[in-house]
Amino acid sequence: MRFQDASPDARAVVYAGIQADPLVARAAVLLADATPAQRVLARAVMNGMSTGPSAWQAMFPTLFGPGAPVAGAERERSEAVLAASLEVAERGEQVRSQVRGAIVESVTELLVRRRSGAAGVATGVAPGVAPGGAAAAVRRERRILFDGVRAEIHPYDVTVETPGAAEAIDCKWGARGINADVLHQLDDARTHAADEDEALTATIVVFDAERSCLVRLERQTAPHAATRLIALETLDRLAAR
Amino acid sequence: MDPISTVGDAIAAARPAYDDLAAFAEDVEDEWSYINDLGPAWIERMDAVAEARGHEPAAAGVAEAVPALVAEVAAIDDPHRAIDWLSTFPQVLLVALGERP
Repeated sequence: MRFQDASPDARAVVYAGIQADPLVARAAVLLADATPAQRVLARAVMNGMSTGPSAWQAMFPTLFGPGAPVAGAERERSEAVLAASLEVAERGEQVRSQVRGAIVESVTELLVRRRSGAAGVATGVAPGVAPGGAAAAVRRERRILFDGVRAEIHPYDVTVETPGAAEAIDCKWGARGINADVLHQLDDARTHAADEDEALTATIVVFDAERSCLVRLERQTAPHAATRLIALETLDRLAAR
Repeated sequence: MDPISTVGDAIAAARPAYDDLAAFAEDVEDEWSYINDLGPAWIERMDAVAEARGHEPAAAGVAEAVPALVAEVAAIDDPHRAIDWLSTFPQVLLVALGERP
């Protein structure tokens, strides 16, 4: 089993530009530390109709209402999540869809880099951010190659390339993004790795409620029993493996 | 919309909008099964909260949150977005009620 950069085709070039958007990085950093309620706020606003803050502040009384904190880190994060999400919502429909996808991938990468097992030796990096070896172990847009198996066309969104603890992760904005192709690709990676006596965890990260994901999975006939589901409420598990 | 003074009132006031959203989402025929699985799954969750906490007074801001949520989904003009909101709507409502999604 070996990992390889995806081919720099036209899609990859366009998508690289989306991933490099500073708004993507800003939103991802906020959402990596957000509470479940703040993540629901982001999900709602990024796919909402209203582009002003007042409607959203009204809809989320636990974050902005009379009983919510009026100051402090939590309130500041709520305000920042709302502001960043509104910026996403103000993009055109196609662009906002791409930006949302890139944000889910960036949040996933940030959280996976926090794993202690993937952290390597700290050398002057911010707490919680994996340096050196981990930076090399957690990658984006990578293919996984197996002997005698034709390579998949689509790269995995995030990979953990730590020997003995490898992981292939695909990221989706919503439960509706779960489909047979994605499930087959993830399960194929896991089984091909097993054929080579390698351990590889297949994970699908969905920025949507677990309940919706389970409903979606219920009717899927593609193999997924061995694929780990990380939903909006359980995102923080990515940091713990 | 009837006045909202309890958790049960809030869920009852939100439900018609959710039903409308589901009906609109059905315009996407390829997703008929998902839509008709998803709606009942979330209605079950909302009903469970109504049964457990329906008599509790609604917290501050809930009476304003529900009409804002209903207005938000009423503005949706794309059935594909409506499908996404079939999942998002109950999450927003539950968070407003102090529940985990």
